[in-house]
Amino acid sequence: MLEKVKHNAAKVLKYLFVALTSALLLMLIQSAFAKKEYEIGAFLVLALIAILVTYFSNVSIPLKFFLPGLLFLLAFVVGPILYTVVMSTFQYQTGNYISKPEAIERVRALGVAPDEAGTTFDVVIGKYNNQIAILASDPINKKYSINTLTENIELAVNVVSLDENGVAKEAPDFSPSNTAEIAALDREISNIRFKYSGDYFISLQGTSVGAVARQVLDYDKNQDKFTNLINGNQYIDNGKGNFVNKNDSEEVLQPGWRSPIWFSHYIDLIKDKNVRSPLISVFIWTVVFASLTVLTTFALGLLIAVAMSKPIRGRRVYRSIFILPYAMPSIMSILIWGGMFNTEFGAINTLFGTNIAWFQSATFARVAVILVNLWLGFPYFYLISSGAMQAIPSELSEAAAIDGATPRQIFYKITLPLLLKIVSPLLIASFAFNFNNFNLIYLLTGGGPRNELDGQIAGATDILISYTYKIAFGSNVQDLGFASAISVIIFLIVASISLYGVKKSKVLDSFS
Amino acid sequence: MQKKLIAKSLAASLALTLVAGVNTVPASAADKELVVWADETRGPNLTKTLAAKSDWVSGYKITVKAFSSFDALKEAVDKSTDLTGPDIILGANDWVPTGAKNGKLAPITLPASVKARFTANQLFDLSYKGNLYGVPLDINNVGMVYNENLVKNAPKTLGEMVSYYKANKDKKGLAAGLCIAGGGTSWGAHSVLSALGGSAYRMKNGAVDTTKDPINPAELAKNIKTYLLDANGKSNGFFPATDTGCKDNYLAGKVPFAIIGNWEWQDYMAEGFQMNLMPVPGVKAGTSGTMFASVSGAMLTSFAAKRGVEAGAKDLLINFFASTAGAVAYQAIELRPPAEKGAQTKVEFTAQQNFGKAASKAGIPQIGAILNGAAGSKSYWDLLPAFWTAVLVNGKDPQTEATKMNGFFVKNVAEGVKDL
Repeated sequence: MLEKVKHNAAKVLKYLFVALTSALLLMLIQSAFAKKEYEIGAFLVLALIAILVTYFSNVSIPLKFFLPGLLFLLAFVVGPILYTVVMSTFQYQTGNYISKPEAIERVRALGVAPDEAGTTFDVVIGKYNNQIAILASDPINKKYSINTLTENIELAVNVVSLDENGVAKEAPDFSPSNTAEIAALDREISNIRFKYSGDYFISLQGTSVGAVARQVLDYDKNQDKFTNLINGNQYIDNGKGNFVNKNDSEEVLQPGWRSPIWFSHYIDLIKDKNVRSPLISVFIWTVVFASLTVLTTFALGLLIAVAMSKPIRGRRVYRSIFILPYAMPSIMSILIWGGMFNTEFGAINTLFGTNIAWFQSATFARVAVILVNLWLGFPYFYLISSGAMQAIPSELSEAAAIDGATPRQIFYKITLPLLLKIVSPLLIASFAFNFNNFNLIYLLTGGGPRNELDGQIAGATDILISYTYKIAFGSNVQDLGFASAISVIIFLIVASISLYGVKKSKVLDSFS
Repeated sequence: MQKKLIAKSLAASLALTLVAGVNTVPASAADKELVVWADETRGPNLTKTLAAKSDWVSGYKITVKAFSSFDALKEAVDKSTDLTGPDIILGANDWVPTGAKNGKLAPITLPASVKARFTANQLFDLSYKGNLYGVPLDINNVGMVYNENLVKNAPKTLGEMVSYYKANKDKKGLAAGLCIAGGGTSWGAHSVLSALGGSAYRMKNGAVDTTKDPINPAELAKNIKTYLLDANGKSNGFFPATDTGCKDNYLAGKVPFAIIGNWEWQDYMAEGFQMNLMPVPGVKAGTSGTMFASVSGAMLTSFAAKRGVEAGAKDLLINFFASTAGAVAYQAIELRPPAEKGAQTKVEFTAQQNFGKAASKAGIPQIGAILNGAAGSKSYWDLLPAFWTAVLVNGKDPQTEATKMNGFFVKNVAEGVKDL
């Protein structure tokens, strides 16, 4: 009886969980489609179907356990990687953000020029013979007219009713709209071109001002080109996300659009000297930085773990102190260390009586980066090493000691190899993490020092990811496509090194 | 039993979705709501202004969204789409080229009577490729103040200031002679560079002069050696290469002259200092260093048209932001120098008026197309601090460094003018 109750309760809980998850997903699906995020919406639909099929059938029992992790992996790891790879093949930068149809619409909207005199009118919006119209006033020249979509009807001053500023408020057969009616018609009236003279029309600038203008750029859908109606210049698609003057490729119409340019960014990485040269030096420093960080943090963590494994007085207090740097938010630690390395006011120079410009010298800045990362990283390896050492059977060391091995021999020949076997995946993960340790570099040195006046782009402490950030967001042109290409390269490097490390250490052998 | 449970759970999930959905459906266009985005100071102040008087645009409800910082606002603008973005943005003038290139800003044509309320430079600041994208809101500039407890009269030349510093450095324990309290060692320090004979670009008849180099390295080096360095080529301490501690030192009476931003004058007045604002004097009497006098703007977005509120948004720009009454009402709370001419004389505080006067006397437009590094990745913003560090901290030869900086400036001017 109790078993049956338990079974039914579990089922109810399962259905409740699935119902709540489905509700959440349905809400997100609705929101995604409402915001025109169709790819995200489609993924969520597939996720919902997968959840319903997996949990309401017995198609695969293991899948019931793996599905949540699998979905998160797809959403937050595989998805962004694919998106980055795709974006690296696009012209995706400032000026090339929107889609081509949107860009054509914007170029058309901007391809309007006011008349030379910059004529504007005070206008009243209303109806004339049941058509939408404006009653336009030029109080200085005492000119008045009713303008519809097709007519410009000039009015004599004596037929209109004027306010104290000489602006016409009423005219025969013209009925003004009230503010609520105008607000309701906003979308419509903003796009209307009221007839003026020749090619010129009056467009509304708000609800009480009209400006005279004419269309200068005309789009030909069949030939996919813009033509300047005044001088005849033609603007064609350059294949890189912009319409450019057929006879002058420097003359570009803005805005452009996101356009596929395939491997151009990767070719630039090889061909462009300004990018290639700093990239090589930055890559070397990135490898050195990540390697030294792993080496120093592991060495210090292990040293303290070994020391703390001995019965010493106040061990618990020491342990708590050693974990403190790990418990403190790294951003705060980095900023505090930045202040401590300050040349004039910093604690380091004050304590040691030195006057070192830590962040002005390439060598000192690199030393500072390694030291701060050592502070941030050693508690992690202290914890890991402490735990791992307890997993090593004590009989091995005892047997070696009986056989006459010295403590040093026991450590190097038994403890360390066994420990490395356990912590190898973590060392590899730490290397990969530090390869992309953006926070530390950005907050501590900003990638510097670099000599701007000597034309340096990359700083002495820039690692690949901070250098990429500089390219993507460091200037007025945000080149997201190019930054994506560098990110793909970084991903391939990190993935290759990690894979090599995993293979060499044979850490996954136990799963095969 | 199982089928019933499945049916029930599906029903429950649908019900939950509907309940949740009520709150996630976007506001319909029929609401006729105008959305304005602003930073952490302008947003709340605009809300207060509109709460006191809300009928600037009939038939529309105005909603102000304030972001936690200027950077947060910029980030939100960068990520905005026609479904999430605002109708009007209160932002910096150098957002205009990017916003226009990305199709996020829309042009507006102002009547001549409204244009006349602003200077040509202010309208130029908010224009890109001949189109105007908003109306000027407030002036962004710096000004030099002097501590009347230390210096009795306004200095007439840079040399006079240096002499005072040298004579009183030890006697009065001065931390520096002139320092940058507001605006940093690039934006805020342009007036120092200019007082010494350099500039980011030369202006002539309201346009960028591409025929003349921004810097004459020999002249700049000579002036730096005369006024900022000692006989050994080291900094004489008059002008520090960093802005760290400047404000505190000025407030503590340890610095006679400071360049301050127009957003922080209340801090100085609260400590009893006078707003005797002036441009940085040049090396010759009667000359002064030019400062960037850019404007923040209320900018129209292309999202307004997509949401069907473009006419209302343009009305808000013209009737409120570009009007004397609107500018006076808003700046009575925001306390910055208004860009609108009529409001400049009507604002309550002298400091607001004096910053405006300093900008009128020695202001040059802040042209992002040149300053942001049009010719590559070397921007004015990075180069000038690097120059101060090289010359005043690292003891490098001023003429060599000035020649390098001029080289980058020349290239940036040549490229930048193509994008105006």
